[in-house]
Amino acid sequence: MNGPSATAPGVVCVFAVTGAPPDPGALASAAGHEEGGPLRVLPAGGLCLVVQDVPAASFGEEALAERLNRPEDLERLARAHHRGVAAAAGRGPVVPLPMATLYHGDASAVRAVASRRPVLESLLDRLRDRTEWAVKVHAAERAADASAQAEASATGGRGYLSRASARRRDQRHAHGRALGEAEAVDTELRRFAVAATRHRPQSDRLTGRRTPQLLNGAYLVNDADRTAFTRALDRITADGRYPGVRVEASGPWIPYSFARWDEEPEPAAAHRREAPA
Amino acid sequence: MTDLDHRPANLEAEPYGPPSGSLADLLERVLDKGIVIAGDIKIDLLDIELLTIRLRLFIASVDTAKKAGIDWWETDPALSSRAARDALAEENERLRARLDALEEATAESSGAAR
Repeated sequence: MNGPSATAPGVVCVFAVTGAPPDPGALASAAGHEEGGPLRVLPAGGLCLVVQDVPAASFGEEALAERLNRPEDLERLARAHHRGVAAAAGRGPVVPLPMATLYHGDASAVRAVASRRPVLESLLDRLRDRTEWAVKVHAAERAADASAQAEASATGGRGYLSRASARRRDQRHAHGRALGEAEAVDTELRRFAVAATRHRPQSDRLTGRRTPQLLNGAYLVNDADRTAFTRALDRITADGRYPGVRVEASGPWIPYSFARWDEEPEPAAAHRREAPA
Repeated sequence: MTDLDHRPANLEAEPYGPPSGSLADLLERVLDKGIVIAGDIKIDLLDIELLTIRLRLFIASVDTAKKAGIDWWETDPALSSRAARDALAEENERLRARLDALEEATAESSGAAR
């Protein structure tokens, strides 16, 4: 097994960057990648990296590509990455790095991070005492098609065509209404968040639902506002104001979706795809 | 309460752990996000796209199997006709995902050419 004392520079996996040194107990009790050594802290010019020595045989370019292509291995890698990031997060803000951020040896990892210190520090400030909430809005399943039933008495080809076109009109109408409700949900939640971003809505086959995903949002919420945010979520789902959609939330997350500097800090309009060009 | 996934009672126990069943959410976060710092070992981003779709399909099929009480992913397909059928269905899904990704890539590149 590779250890920090290995003579040849091995492969070093970096999970996250922190300002203050993370809790040693949390690191000691957390398992990173199954094939690697214990999690350890690497000082990098005032910042701390949480890293793990991993065997080149499993984390070289070819081996990694092969493993990433096996769903069960990919799941293991993703969960291991999250464990490493979570272990780093106990004592203050954390900037999670993307899964499988790998370097040839400590020196290379330290160089890469130290050279971006100002940006990482401002990111750490931005994420301090904040967590991320994932909110997905789907169109509600619709009850029986009223207009189609109303016209069911019409028979023959013309009856069929008129029913079909009424159905399409209804569907378009319902979809537009649901989209409007999804936007309203987003607007309401943004009031309790310091930033918001949107992931691409997942396809029906991925969600396993018969209705489309309309909003796949992530919200960055101050710890002090967390109760207000979750209450807003409860209100949205409870009081029937949005009958055309189903809202599901998960959290609190380490703010993965906001740990980037290539993103506009202003959340309001930045991700509206539908905005005119 | 509601059908929300968040469980305030669990916050103390595991402040940053994803609620169970949200592996898709986790993947979205650890894979889809922009590279913050490039490592020495590169991962082909196009492949990441494709394999994210595939893993999500895998998760979806695992969830479906769990709901049906089948642990087929832990079972040798050769030992179980049901598992074998699921393996075929999964392969079918993977191929569909791949086709989708290829079509999307084609659409995007023709879109970019305009």
